Amino acid sequence: MADQGKYPGRLIAVDGSRGKDVTVAAGDILAALKRDGIECAVSRWDASGLFTDLAAGGRGDRNVSIRTLSLVYAADLAFRLRWEIRPVLEAGGVVIAAPYIETASAFGTICGLDEEWLRLLMRFAPAADFRGLAQERKIHQPWKRRTDRGYAEYGAVMLETTAPKSVSKAARRRMMEQLESSSGRKVFHLSNKGIGLLQKALIDSRKDASRRSSSRPRNGRK
Amino acid sequence: MPRTPTPKQLRRLIAEREESRGLLIAFEGPDGSGKTTQRKLLKRWLESRNHDVVSTRWASSALVKPMLKVRKKIRTLSIEEYSLLHAVDFRHRVETSILPALWAGKTVLADRYLFTALARDAARGLDLDWLLHAYSPLLWPDLVIYFSMTPEDSRRRIASTRAPHFYEAGQDVTGIDDPLASYGRFIDRVVTEYKNLSVVFQFVTVDAGDAVYRQHTRVRELVEKAERRPWSTFSKEAVQEWLIKANIQGA
Repeated sequence: MADQGKYPGRLIAVDGSRGKDVTVAAGDILAALKRDGIECAVSRWDASGLFTDLAAGGRGDRNVSIRTLSLVYAADLAFRLRWEIRPVLEAGGVVIAAPYIETASAFGTICGLDEEWLRLLMRFAPAADFRGLAQERKIHQPWKRRTDRGYAEYGAVMLETTAPKSVSKAARRRMMEQLESSSGRKVFHLSNKGIGLLQKALIDSRKDASRRSSSRPRNGRK
Repeated sequence: MPRTPTPKQLRRLIAEREESRGLLIAFEGPDGSGKTTQRKLLKRWLESRNHDVVSTRWASSALVKPMLKVRKKIRTLSIEEYSLLHAVDFRHRVETSILPALWAGKTVLADRYLFTALARDAARGLDLDWLLHAYSPLLWPDLVIYFSMTPEDSRRRIASTRAPHFYEAGQDVTGIDDPLASYGRFIDRVVTEYKNLSVVFQFVTVDAGDAVYRQHTRVRELVEKAERRPWSTFSKEAVQEWLIKANIQGA
């Protein structure tokens, strides 16, 4: 079930507490890599349309829990992996997942779910090769109640009646702290400098990979 | 705004409700085993004895059903997506219809429960541990009635009434074009998974080959003898989570 596959491509995860910031950060990475001649794909939240359908359906039913939303996130992620992420990785390309696992994990945790539950739920997704945190803007403001911006904003709409504390200004601050603290490996803070460092790390890792594959011992050659 | 109950308050709330809460009865079995018929008969019988009864069917939540239906129709679901969307539907029904009804003292008859997902998705090749995890925290039924029949009989009964749908026939995993042939192979795996689950989750078996009235008599006996599986032991986490979400403070 867990995706232990080693793909020839590279996966960059971009997470953040605000959908707009994540989108901007993904766009900045895309532009920076393009300048270096590296084409890459971007996989965005709700590519499956599940969240849109959920908001539109159910006769306006907003009686949804964070656990239900997390399951929808996982289903959307499964869709994105199948159609947008894995094909690029298998072909040796670069793909930016904006957002990826950390966003759902941090938002779910501040809403009261067990982090371990969230991680195990999404264990079918491969680990990102590089992790970036979007530059947070309007950090003193709560989330905008919108269903089309990002996961947390969507959650702010859906959980407003059942768990209002989960979507307050303080909750957003806790999510940012959670995103900062959940870094098990190197995290790139996606300012201009951070994007530059990420770009360099990506190029180096691709060079390393091609060096490794070209230095394989070849039979019959001296 | 009401305060979130403390863990101690939650434990007390659950303990106080154990006696008056409703019974959760799950009907499980392969397609064509007569679950729905028996569920309807039991509902009528319970209502004739002045029980408040609520039925809940598989993949029926108003929130999820439309999006699941469209995606099933165009056959775009991967194994994981199929499984996760059913988990969404199940969780939503647990929170918005099953638990509120049980809390109010109503008997809930579930026409298929999470064991359907476990059996079908494990038959599709998903890891049972992960499936249990996706469906956790578990709300254990007080009684699971399993209508047992061989895969051949299930196939025969389905064939006599209709062609199974794409996912019902497991065509997404068997790769067989003929729905009935695919169903024959898929249901074989599903029944095997059901057998494994029946041990762990203590299913009570009813022979689906028996006459309808005989099965109904047996179901009545089982329900009359059924005892509550204490929430505090089996389903504490699921009930506590719902109590917090529903902001239930006390009787």
